[in-house]
Amino acid sequence: MTVTPKPTGGVGMNPVANALSIILLIAIIGAVWILFGGYTLVFKALIAVILGGALIGFGVHFVPVGGAPAAMGQAPGIATGVAMLAAGAGLAGLFGGAFAVPLGLMTAVVAGGIGGALMMAITCLFVTLIYTYGMGIPSASGKVKVDPITGDSQAEYKSQGTEGHGLPFSSFAGGVIGGFLGGVGGTLIYYALLKVYEDRLPALLAASASAVVPVAVSLAGIFAVGLFLVNAVLAAYNITGTTEGFHDPKFSRFPRAIVASLAASAVCGIVAILVAAM
Amino acid sequence: MTVKVEKIEGGTPHDTIMWAGLIAALVCLYLGAGLNLMFNAYTFSFFGGLAAVAAIVWGSDAIKGLCSYGIGTGVPSVGMISLGSGVIAMLIATRFSWYYAPIVALIVAVIIGAIIGYMANDVIMMKIPVMRRSMTEVAVIGALMLMGLAQMTTSSYSLLGLSSVKAGLLGLAPASLGGSFIGASIIAVAFILGAIAVQHPFNACLGPSWKQDRMIMLAAECGFLSMIPIAFMSIAFLSTGAVIVSVIVSVAGWFYTYSQYLCLSKRDAAAWLDAKPIREPEGH
Repeated sequence: MTVTPKPTGGVGMNPVANALSIILLIAIIGAVWILFGGYTLVFKALIAVILGGALIGFGVHFVPVGGAPAAMGQAPGIATGVAMLAAGAGLAGLFGGAFAVPLGLMTAVVAGGIGGALMMAITCLFVTLIYTYGMGIPSASGKVKVDPITGDSQAEYKSQGTEGHGLPFSSFAGGVIGGFLGGVGGTLIYYALLKVYEDRLPALLAASASAVVPVAVSLAGIFAVGLFLVNAVLAAYNITGTTEGFHDPKFSRFPRAIVASLAASAVCGIVAILVAAM
Repeated sequence: MTVKVEKIEGGTPHDTIMWAGLIAALVCLYLGAGLNLMFNAYTFSFFGGLAAVAAIVWGSDAIKGLCSYGIGTGVPSVGMISLGSGVIAMLIATRFSWYYAPIVALIVAVIIGAIIGYMANDVIMMKIPVMRRSMTEVAVIGALMLMGLAQMTTSSYSLLGLSSVKAGLLGLAPASLGGSFIGASIIAVAFILGAIAVQHPFNACLGPSWKQDRMIMLAAECGFLSMIPIAFMSIAFLSTGAVIVSVIVSVAGWFYTYSQYLCLSKRDAAAWLDAKPIREPEGH
């Protein structure tokens, strides 16, 4: 058995792979434009799914993930994995947005964003309460000397031998921004797929438009969850474990996660749309 | 470039487990659908659950291969991406007739998984040698597992069968879409039952004392455990006889694999002590 340090993740971008991903993305969008006759409902839905996926991939980078070291007070952030945290925030937002769908796209998307942000805010608040009053550790960032938002000095509060601990204010704010973006992205995917299914399922299942609503809602919901998890895990791989939020040096890796999310959402999105549109 | 963190030696080679799991899952899916059609009964729906167990066993070993490299995000993330990409492939396959559906699910899952694996390995630069292959495998596993659980619940894996309730079986209300596998979102329960079952075995067994046979026994145990709630949910869709057969198969399978897993755990443990309740010291 070989014991090695945690993976650090590659640096920089792979130009060939990025170019191939963009070509794949354009090819899928172009194919849908040709096959479904230009700027139709299916085309709009695909664009919304791709945008939603990219928003999720971007939003995950804001979420302060501490993992197991955070639970021991040796690293800042919320003490769980990226996939769990992002899925929690995004799905809370998705449920919030899904209830607001009858009120129109903008209301639904904003409600979804607020749902995700609220979930992250509550999580961060109670995490801070437990860190401060339960474990007795102050909040201190290990990556920056001065908190970028409040300007508070961090180094004096950081224990030796740790990478920081607790939940600094910038991480708290980053979590709320990440939850908002994730909720917006999840709701956008849900809304787009729901409109396609409500349009196409009555003919497919030989039922009235009102009878197919449960199936359309459930299908759109499960696809939104599936796409959310794919994008959240891809972004989590990009972070490789722990991050402090937008002031962490790892945040600068986000362009490649967005490229990956765009291409992966295009592939998954076109298949999800074809379930009803084929 | 990342380096292996855990030892991978010992036990059956991964290729053998992959082919065995894939063939067993496909055969079980076709057996369930074919026998149900041949005898015009629901009794053989439990084969879907067995297909899910085969996929979970294969999945635990595939996740072991990937997570040996220390991906930094925890083992559960692989279980989540497995079902997340698998559900998309599985639902497009439900549009095809029963003898094409599992193959279509397999092909679409291979395509989706290969692209996600390429994204993770080359665009995100994880640079893990087995990344592309593992992502392809877990997508197929997720699709076949969900298809198996769907078949066990409703006796079918066609979109029409999954989105409508057949009338008059248990004297329920006539055909409605709202109470179906998809309409009532039972698919979400199957989704998370599968996701937890596929990631748990390696997450629970990893470490220096990892043994492949113990992990695989735990994987089978998780599969049968997931079959039990699915069997109870199938009350809404299947005849009473079929539900009883499903419950008996899943409970018997769970009991056998769990007792075997306990034996293997005792074998691998440094020492085994039967714990007694902590006694309160008297006289104070």
